[in-house]
Amino acid sequence: MPISYELVKTVTSQLYDRSLRGIPADAKEALRRADAAESNETAKHTLRIMLQSAEAAERSQHFICSDAGVPVFFVRVGTQARFSGSVRQAITDGFAELVETIQPPLLPHVTNPLTLERGYRGKGMPIVTFDLVDNCDHVDITCSPKALGSGRWAALEIFSFPDLKTIENFVMETVIKAGSQPCPPVVIGVGIGGTFDYAAKLAKEATLRPIGEQHPETLVADMERRLVEAINKTGFGPMGTGGDSTAMAVHVNYAAGHGFTPVAVAFNCWINRRTRARLYNDGRVEIVE
Amino acid sequence: MAIQTHRKTFPLSAQEARSLRAGDLVVIDGEIVITAGMPTHERLLGCLDGKEPLPMSLQGVSLFHLGSFSREVDGQFEVLYLNPTTSTRFNPFMPRLIESFEWHAVGGKGGLDRHCADTLQRVGGVYLSFLGGGCTLLSQAIKEVVEVGWSDMLTHYRLVRLRVEGLGPATVAIDAHGRSLYDEERQTARDRLPGILRDLDAAREQQASEHHPEAEIGNVDE
Repeated sequence: MPISYELVKTVTSQLYDRSLRGIPADAKEALRRADAAESNETAKHTLRIMLQSAEAAERSQHFICSDAGVPVFFVRVGTQARFSGSVRQAITDGFAELVETIQPPLLPHVTNPLTLERGYRGKGMPIVTFDLVDNCDHVDITCSPKALGSGRWAALEIFSFPDLKTIENFVMETVIKAGSQPCPPVVIGVGIGGTFDYAAKLAKEATLRPIGEQHPETLVADMERRLVEAINKTGFGPMGTGGDSTAMAVHVNYAAGHGFTPVAVAFNCWINRRTRARLYNDGRVEIVE
Repeated sequence: MAIQTHRKTFPLSAQEARSLRAGDLVVIDGEIVITAGMPTHERLLGCLDGKEPLPMSLQGVSLFHLGSFSREVDGQFEVLYLNPTTSTRFNPFMPRLIESFEWHAVGGKGGLDRHCADTLQRVGGVYLSFLGGGCTLLSQAIKEVVEVGWSDMLTHYRLVRLRVEGLGPATVAIDAHGRSLYDEERQTARDRLPGILRDLDAAREQQASEHHPEAEIGNVDE
């Protein structure tokens, strides 16, 4: 029995719904660690209210943020996975169904960039990225709704044969420009190399990596470690009103490219919204996070 | 540093606003007006220019950048939830609105710029930072929808006058004495940056010597 249109529709709708009503376990742990390490009293207070807010949202199954963002999905398709029916359409219909049924209702955030008209539908919406995975018999779907607060401050610049110092200085400049605005403490994704479009994708994917998971290569893991330390010395703190906790994590991904090197920096706010499910050919669904 | 928590009845007066200091916490009772719309701000400026009448009295209110979901049920408006939105995008609108309507409390999240902070100081006003991602907690404070202005607009763009009880705590991030935590944190970050970059250089060199003694970074062929 292949993976059906109905299954993809239902799962994507549920993934989105669930992403709005709590925060991932790794973000909670990171907020607790930040509270323990924080020296600023106001910041400690803010971190504790963040945790209370997350727990209250989960307990009452309410939204944690009124900005439910726009629907963004990453679909990793195993080459041995089998589908029956449309997949792209299933995700579009899953979101449409969610809009109709979700309680409380969503605010209309889908915006036509040319006319600024807002609603629940739009060209290319939901934003779905498909990737193929060889030797794999399942499909992973990640839901990462993107809201204005954190989405607004991503940046990309292209350098020629930059050294690591140039790359890291650009990350620091981007963080300082974002400052209080992306609802810190944030998760920062950095994408280095590839091409213009690919670096942005790498950065986005890096924000989805669980907090605490380092890049497997020492050169990159070292960069992640020193960048998070550097960012937490800036002093912006929770909600940008001062403190030691500005970033919960920095995750760096890279790809080979030409000597022109795009460096992309993306932010997730402290609620670090993401949910993921795995769909198997026999119709089983595993909730991964 | 002990945090001062104040419980205040809103709309806030100039005198009450001046009694608050940056870094204090405020729990809000009483009446507030909320909106999250750029078009709303533009329209308000239009009202000041005589283009249309105001949809409600805004003199001396406390105006917060809180997005909300409101709907009309049996002729009555209800607000299901609210949450702060980033205020910085309203920077160009706020000084004139604060000054003209004598707002002694504004707020949202992410802050306002120096021009706004100076205006707040002049009129005796504060900027309050609400918790982004505080939707569940903050929404519990909604007691009554007093009035809704411009219900022809999108739900989160409308002007909604609410009666709240125990909204917050919010942090006084810009006080009525010209002190802005946002300016201070940004300046602190800028001042610290050269030192932070030097530390980054040192860490990079040390980690390179520990982990990659053979690496020749930057030595590439075109």
